[in-house]
Amino acid sequence: MECVVQGIIETQHVEALEILLQGLCGVQRERLRIHEICLKSGPNLGPVASEVRLLCDLEQAEPSWTVRHIGGAMRGAGAEQISVLVRTMVESKASKNVLRMFYLLGYKLDHELLRVGFSFHFNRGAQITVTVSSINKMLKVHATDEAVPVTPGIQLVEVTAPASAETYAEVASAVSSFCEYLAPLLHLSKPGISTGVVPTAAAAAASLMSDGGGTTL
Amino acid sequence: MTVKWILHWTPTPGSVVNSQILSEISQCVESFVNAVKDGRWKATLTFYRPNLRDQSIPSEFPRDFLGISLLEQPNKYYFIIRGNKIILEADSTILTIMEKLQSYKSKVALNFEGVQYKMGDFQMKVVKVVPNQGESLRGILIEIEYLPISSIEKAKPIMEEFLEVWREVMSKKSLPGHFTQTEPHFADYKLPDNYTSQHTAIQYAAALAQLIQSAQLRG
Repeated sequence: MECVVQGIIETQHVEALEILLQGLCGVQRERLRIHEICLKSGPNLGPVASEVRLLCDLEQAEPSWTVRHIGGAMRGAGAEQISVLVRTMVESKASKNVLRMFYLLGYKLDHELLRVGFSFHFNRGAQITVTVSSINKMLKVHATDEAVPVTPGIQLVEVTAPASAETYAEVASAVSSFCEYLAPLLHLSKPGISTGVVPTAAAAAASLMSDGGGTTL
Repeated sequence: MTVKWILHWTPTPGSVVNSQILSEISQCVESFVNAVKDGRWKATLTFYRPNLRDQSIPSEFPRDFLGISLLEQPNKYYFIIRGNKIILEADSTILTIMEKLQSYKSKVALNFEGVQYKMGDFQMKVVKVVPNQGESLRGILIEIEYLPISSIEKAKPIMEEFLEVWREVMSKKSLPGHFTQTEPHFADYKLPDNYTSQHTAIQYAAALAQLIQSAQLRG
């Protein structure tokens, strides 16, 4: 299970966001370059069509692979009252021939993208990960060297935290509280609910850059 | 990880695998000068079949897709498609993912239940193959492990020498059958010379395939 919120920010304000996150998290950022391959089951396979994501971490010297299954979101009155999305999510590290294995099992490429940016991992009431990345599409199948931004000038911000059936309320609350600190720069909401960029972003970014400028070497 | 060889018992035509033969084989191992019993071991092999919406449409999906769990790797799971010579090592959470996908279902599961013996630089396991739900003996395997070396090539002459000694011990019992090593073709799976649990998984899958083939031939 995981709690998730998303938002967008203009690329020109990403540096300010990084300064803010650095101050809030107290940890170093990690570079991110993830090739995300979304596979769908072929016709006649399974009672219903199924989807699985393969994530290849290209930032490592030796690329590492993770299989991820994202399930349905929590529904009902309880879910509506929570400002973060709570959904099932299962991950498994896998050896490098995982893509070939799934193709042989009858899965087909649905779409793929390349996320380039950075992330912060820290604990603040929950184990939180903030990812800031540009989303890029490949011009040729699996050609990560030839990727172009889907939305030039705009980057995606995701805040996620693992949870369980027993802890999701507490984790959701921790994520929500953290997101309030980012409010001057961007608005974070459940995936699928778009709120656009925040009008105060430019002013907030300028403020952060002038404050942060004093410490930049 | 140190090198292992897995051999399967091939009964002579007209004879069967039974607990008496298993007991005799165990006695052969125990008769080694410094053999000491060292606990039990288990692995499980599961055959998977595609979960087809319409059974009448010819399936283009692999029919030799199987998964293996090994006691020495409790957080890992191994998937093999033998016909394509591919092995995948994954965290055991991959099973939860496969259950959620529902594209493949487990059909038959077999347990490899072994007794381990330490004997100096070598270790041996006497392994019985039994159905997951049941007790009937479907086959016998032995696993020979040479502890000092992890290179498959470097261990080969030493393992062959040990095997000669083992065959000599076995010959004194005049049992109706012999142990055969199935060539695992590690290079076809693009595995390195350094031995790993992936090599073990491939050997057990290959040994079982041979056991099934021999059983089918015996009718």
